Formats: sequence, structure tokens, C-alpha cells
Amino acid sequence: MYDFLTGPMFYLAFCVFIIGLLVRIVLYIRGLDWKLDRVAYSAFPAAGFKGAFRSILYWVLPFGTRSWRTQPFMTVVFFVFHLGAVLVPLFLLAHNLILEEKLGVSWGVTLPQLLADVLSWGVIVTTLLLALRRVALPEVRILTTAYDYLILAVTAAPFITGLAARYAVTDYQLWATLHVLFGELLMILVPFTKLSHIVLFFMSRAQLGMDYGIKRGGMNPRSKGLAW
Amino acid sequence: MPEGTLCNKKPIKTEEDLRQLLADTGGKEYYKQMKVLEVDRKLLWDTIQKTCKSRIRTWLEICAHCGMCADSCFLYRINDCDPKQVPAYKIQSTLGEIVRRKGRVDNAFMHMAMETAWAKCTCCNRCGMYCPHGIDMGVMFGYLRGLLYAQGFVPWELKIGAGMHRVYRAQMDVTQEDWVETCEWMAEENEEDYVGLTIPFDKKDADIMYTVNAREVKHYPEDLAEAAILFHIAGENWTVPSEGWEQTSLSMFAGDWEACALQVKSVYDAMERLMPKRMVGTECGHAHRATVIEGPYWAGRKDGRPPVPCMHYVEWVAEALRTGKLKIDPKKRIKEPVTLQDSCNYIRNHGLREITREIMSYIVEPGYFIEMNPNGDHNYCCGGGGGFNGIGLFRPQRNKALITKRDQILSTGAKLVIAPCHNCWDAIRDLEEEYRVGIKWSFLKPLLIQMVEVPDHIQPKE
Repeated sequence: MYDFLTGPMFYLAFCVFIIGLLVRIVLYIRGLDWKLDRVAYSAFPAAGFKGAFRSILYWVLPFGTRSWRTQPFMTVVFFVFHLGAVLVPLFLLAHNLILEEKLGVSWGVTLPQLLADVLSWGVIVTTLLLALRRVALPEVRILTTAYDYLILAVTAAPFITGLAARYAVTDYQLWATLHVLFGELLMILVPFTKLSHIVLFFMSRAQLGMDYGIKRGGMNPRSKGLAW
Repeated sequence: MPEGTLCNKKPIKTEEDLRQLLADTGGKEYYKQMKVLEVDRKLLWDTIQKTCKSRIRTWLEICAHCGMCADSCFLYRINDCDPKQVPAYKIQSTLGEIVRRKGRVDNAFMHMAMETAWAKCTCCNRCGMYCPHGIDMGVMFGYLRGLLYAQGFVPWELKIGAGMHRVYRAQMDVTQEDWVETCEWMAEENEEDYVGLTIPFDKKDADIMYTVNAREVKHYPEDLAEAAILFHIAGENWTVPSEGWEQTSLSMFAGDWEACALQVKSVYDAMERLMPKRMVGTECGHAHRATVIEGPYWAGRKDGRPPVPCMHYVEWVAEALRTGKLKIDPKKRIKEPVTLQDSCNYIRNHGLREITREIMSYIVEPGYFIEMNPNGDHNYCCGGGGGFNGIGLFRPQRNKALITKRDQILSTGAKLVIAPCHNCWDAIRDLEEEYRVGIKWSFLKPLLIQMVEVPDHIQPKE
């Protein structure tokens, strides 16, 4: 089982993940329409790029936007969650060893164990907080569906099983197998679910940034640019 | 598919149709007919397949249901944080649901969607600034309005408004003769006080072509006179077109994209006919949005720009003050606490927040200008934007919405609100009438007229 999961299944999941996300990017860009969207995307590439860049930059900075600043609890939860969810899969030492073995590449940089532990626990704690937030706040509850909990669950599962294996709470091999299974499940689900926001976040942010950069004031020489 | 005589899927195309609809006071019969109007589900789904592309589909799909947009919406806040007023909920339960059901929705659903699209969203676009994914629900509500309009589910006044643009190329029944006569009348009224004052028609290659809001022609002709006086004092080489003078677009509020194109092309035709160096539009927010920001796309202009550079009135005023074409008598500057209403349509949506502050620095005595909170790009809608002001059916909701702006103004302590936007100006007037808080409100023009220095050669000899 473990051999299958770390062998053919790994390659399958990896390909679905990468190709799936590439397809999402291509489909997104191909589906943009200057006339329907009412944004002259290609007429002003420099202004468009600047708008897209600003739109992404301010939002990936903690407290970089007014929205982040006015909702500090969510901001902290959001960034702790995403920091762990992005850094641990990419830079965990064990993951890099696997990458090197399977694909012959590695980043050359890996997370110290303590930091990796903290980030992983961060993901688990913030997942719980995000779930609680869905129950506690009426404005979030009304939006929440079972699908949202499923997304949280499949995202947290590799972290829970990964930490269980790390501490070898019971049977290391069992948890490691489950960890790989859930990790691969996650990779396969990403392109087909809301988790596609891994790339579509950047697409969508860039689009609105171009909208503001090209059309909604970004090209006015007296404007300092939208105050995200 | 049977349709009502008044409420149907056909746009208003003739004066006769308009008169018939106008005769139905308050839209009583119109809304009665709407109760049994059938949904053309095939048309609805076909339209979505053709026009709902990756931007909106992605927005609907990746919305994380995080609710961070809730507090951004003034309608959510003023309605006691009703979860049903959360922007993401409003769009997911309407447009999102139509897409998920592939257009298979019924009459009751369309009524709900109509109320949501016109009474729970003013398309101020503020929520788009608070969503981590950059999901602009105001844009989606604009799109939804188009779908609803095509199905005949549109408030009575906006069906009429869009029809006006189709029949008169103006938001009201103002004909070309009415327009020309009103301008001539205003020039005559004021030529004794301002020597050499004229309102020049159809002058080619002028520096400025001025366009207006039909309400000024019909209800506030003094606004035209004030514009003429200020251009005259500034020594501008300006003109107005006899055709293509109307800058507004109730069709934009209605979601009648065909009428939007017809209307804006009439203005662009005037630009191409007269070839002015640039166009200046009156103190109206949605008119600027329609003619300068969205219009080029309706007219199919690939660069997204009108035929000549266009300015909002505030841009012209700031420039005239900066260059000294208009000089303010320092003794006459505003010396009372004053605040400024930021119009969503050209502040958040066209980057003019610095420009309007620059004007304040010239016309308000230092220390008397007080910002609202929040302001600039993060301002709240006046409460009447996106057509909300004009819809009788949703008047109670609109009046509630005005409370946001009322309280924002009151907490500045200012008694005077400068509102360089027709919609905002109306909303502030209505909030004063509704709640009697003792404030005054004004466009820029009348304030400028009172404080600008009139050059000797323009002053009457006596």
C-alpha cells in the first residue's frame, strides 16, 4: 500500500495537481473578455501590470489592506493558516527528500524542525478557529455549506496525520500511510474544487487589479492608486 | 409566452409606449402584471452561457464564504447586520443560484432577485475592496440587473428611464429643442451680469465640449447658467453639442445594455463631429461612470477610452483653480465646518479622491474642512446610488439606507455638505427632508460662483 501510494499514486496526484492548475490558469485567461468584462486588458499592459501587482501585493501582506486591518482576528487566523499550508508542504525536510528522490529536484532550503512543527500546529489550530467562526458568526454561518467544512477537513487531514506520524503517536507506518494518502487526495482535489484558489486567487486579484489599474482610475496621473 | 401589456420583456421603443407606461401611476398595473410574468428560462440560460465567462464564474466558484465582505456593506450594517444582507449571500442566492440551476427559476425567484439587485445593492463596489479574492459583487449585481431586465423584471421607473434614453437620448423627455431653448434662455438671463456670456452651440475644435444631466435642463436650468458663467470667467473656449449633450444613463441602472450603447454613442458622435480637445461633464457621478468609464466598452471601443479625453467637473475645477483660471477671493472662502461627499462612481471607481481634496484646499478656509469617516476610496454610498433614489417600490428600504450617510455627516459636526454628484445631492436632500437634521448641501458650482473673482472685462459697466 505504502509503496503504491509513494510510487504510481504519487506521480498521478502530482500530475493532476500541476496539470490541473495549469489548465485552470489557461481557462481563466482564455475566458477573460475585454468587452464583457469591460476592461481593456491588452490595450495598456503597463498600467494593467501595475494594477495587478498592487492588488496582489497589498493582499499578501498581513494588515496590508484596510480589510485586513479592520478584521484583525480573521487576519491573524488567515495568515497563520496559509503560512503553514503553503510552507510546510513545500519546505519540510522530509518532503524535500521525497521530491529529490521522485523528481530529482529540491529547493535547497528546508524548514528547521521546530518551525515546521509550529507551522503545522498553526494550521490545525486555525482550522479549528475557522470552523468555529463558521458556527459562531451569523454573517459567516449563512454562507456556510457542508462543502466548506469538507474543504477545511481535506486541507487539515494531511497536517493531522503528518503530525501524528511525526510524533509516532501509535503506529508510525499507519499514520505515514494515511498522511501520504490524504496529501495525494488533497492534490487531486485541488484543481476541481474551491482549492483551485491556490492559483485562481492570483488570477482573480490580478484581474480586479487590472480593472482598477486600467479602467477605474489607475491611469489618472494625479491619482496615487486605489487605497487597498 | 404570454406577456403583460406594460410589464414584458420588450424594451420601450416609442413615445406611445412611454406614455402608456407613465400613465400607470406608480407602476400599479405594471407590478400586477409582473406577478404573472413568465421566465424565459432558455433565454436566461443561453445568455449566461454566452456572457458569464471566467471572471464572474470564478468569482462565484472560489468565494470562500468567509463573510469578510459583510461589514463592508453599508446596507448590511444599517439593517441591523441582517445576515441576508451579506454581499456574498446576496449574490450567491441570486446570480449564483440562477447559474447553479442553469436558469431554471420561477417568477417568485425573479421577484426576490429583483428586490435584491435594486434594493439591497447600489453597485457602489465597496465590497470588492474588502474581499481577499477580489470578488467585486457590485460588478456582478450590474450583470444580474442585465439578466433581470431582459426578462422584464425591472423596477417601473427604470424601465421608463431606459425607455427615455431609447426614445429621447436623454433620461427624461427633453427634446433637442428644449435643450437649445433652455441654454439660450439661461444665457439671456445672465448676459447682463456677465458681459459677453454665451452658451456656444456646436463650435468645432473647441477646447472643451460640455455635457450635462437632463435634470439640469428640465428642473435646474440655473446649473447650466452657473457652468456657463464659470467657463466664461475662466476664459475657456468651450461649446455644447446640440445633439449628444446628455451624459447620464438610467439604462445603466436598469441593465439595458443596448440602450446604454445607443445613449453613449450619441455623445461620442458629438465628440467626433465637433472634435473638441476634451470633454467636461457636469457634477454627476453615474453620468461620468456611464460616459467615460463604462461607455467606451458599450460602444465597442477596444482601448476602453472615449474618442477624446474626458474629465469630470471636479477635474476641471481643480485644474482651473490650480492654473489660476479661476481665482478664489480669500475673504469669501467657506468659513464654517464643511464636509465632502465622495461619489462612488468617480472616487472609488475613477481615482479622483486627491482631486476633490485639492478643490477643498482652495475653497475652504484652512481648519474648516472635516473628512467623513470612512472617506475617499472607502467612502459609503450616499444611500441612493445605482438607481435606488428613483424607485418608488423600494422607497422604505432607501430611506433606511440614508441613515448611514446621515450619521456619517452628523458625526463630522459640519452643517454644510459639498456633494458634486446628482445622485448624492438628491440622497442628502432626501435625508434632510426625511430626518430633519438641519444640514445644507450643495454642488460646487453655486459655491464657486459666490467666491470666484470676476475679471473686470466681464463685470457690467454700471
